[in-house]
Amino acid sequence: MILAVLSLVGLYVAMYLWLYKLGIVGTLSCKIGSCEKVNTSPYAILFGVPIAFWGVLYYVGLFTAALLSTTDRFGNDRRMAPALVALTGWGVLFSAYLTYLELAVIHAICQWCVVSAILVVVMFALAVVELRAGRAGRTTPA
Amino acid sequence: MANRNARASQKQFTFLLIAVGVIGAGALGWVTTRPKGGGQAIDPNMPLGTAQGFMYGSPDAPVKIIEFADFECPACGQFATLTEPDVRERLVKTGVASIEFFVFPLPMHKNTWSASNAAYCANEQGKFWEMHDRLFYTQDLWNGEATSSPDKKMKGYAADIGLDAGKFDACFDSQKHYPNIKASGAEAEKRLVTETPSFIIGGKLYAGSLPYDQIKKLVDSALAKVPKADTGKKGAK
Repeated sequence: MILAVLSLVGLYVAMYLWLYKLGIVGTLSCKIGSCEKVNTSPYAILFGVPIAFWGVLYYVGLFTAALLSTTDRFGNDRRMAPALVALTGWGVLFSAYLTYLELAVIHAICQWCVVSAILVVVMFALAVVELRAGRAGRTTPA
Repeated sequence: MANRNARASQKQFTFLLIAVGVIGAGALGWVTTRPKGGGQAIDPNMPLGTAQGFMYGSPDAPVKIIEFADFECPACGQFATLTEPDVRERLVKTGVASIEFFVFPLPMHKNTWSASNAAYCANEQGKFWEMHDRLFYTQDLWNGEATSSPDKKMKGYAADIGLDAGKFDACFDSQKHYPNIKASGAEAEKRLVTETPSFIIGGKLYAGSLPYDQIKKLVDSALAKVPKADTGKKGAK
């Protein structure tokens, strides 16, 4: 459940950065680091599309999966927990790569990217806990 | 009992999800509808002055690189600090090209008018390019994310590059170049420049912080079209 709430927060963060890239948001609110420097760097584009847009797609997918996992129909599906671990794990790896770019290549930090990175790490931890709890539940004798 | 707990928990979750959804949508709605400027308030009725390009290199160089840039734009800073030194060394100092710099202050940048004002006032004492370099190399220290009162920083930079403080301060505080800065921006718009930095090389407009190799290619291509009598024995490395 918490996973769905956190992924919704992540979706809003990604949408905010995407709207900035589209020129709909004038300036980024940025108290820490240099969000503009990061978001206008060549690394803010992947396959010709802003990274923020990929972020929006990612969080929509994650939010949908997390929401489905709270329903009766999919909540008891054994494949759900590993799928959430895989999705959030991918987010952690990609965020690690983006953080590396910020620190080692662009030499600037974007606070919204940091928020997103923290969110995926927390969601990954929650998904792992959920997976373990599910496995423990299944192996416990009745 | 367990069923009741599960139902209560589901209710709390639904409430939390709706709350986050509403707050997030509200915040996004606010950021997309608020005035986009965010920058220094500029009198919309200010008259247009003269659009002035600042020349680096020989005005007689066979190829002209015209640059439109905003002192506060990070991509312009990247170009000025990483690429431009090579352009100056290999293309301008060899006499192949010249750079003509036009200020194009973008509305989303809070301190760009202050920086442009400093550059124009430095030009009065013949040190436009020294101020240009100073501004771009220290961009992180005076931009809108770093400070809301950049004027003090500008005066400090003027002292750093050896300008007469009295003359600079008088020029800077009078804001007498604001109409010229506005005209420079209008010149960029007239030439259909929509982002910074943008370059006109060989009569064609190119947007973005171009790498040196691409600039060299474009300059070579423009040079090839210049009548031979105009190019002399010049050649780029």
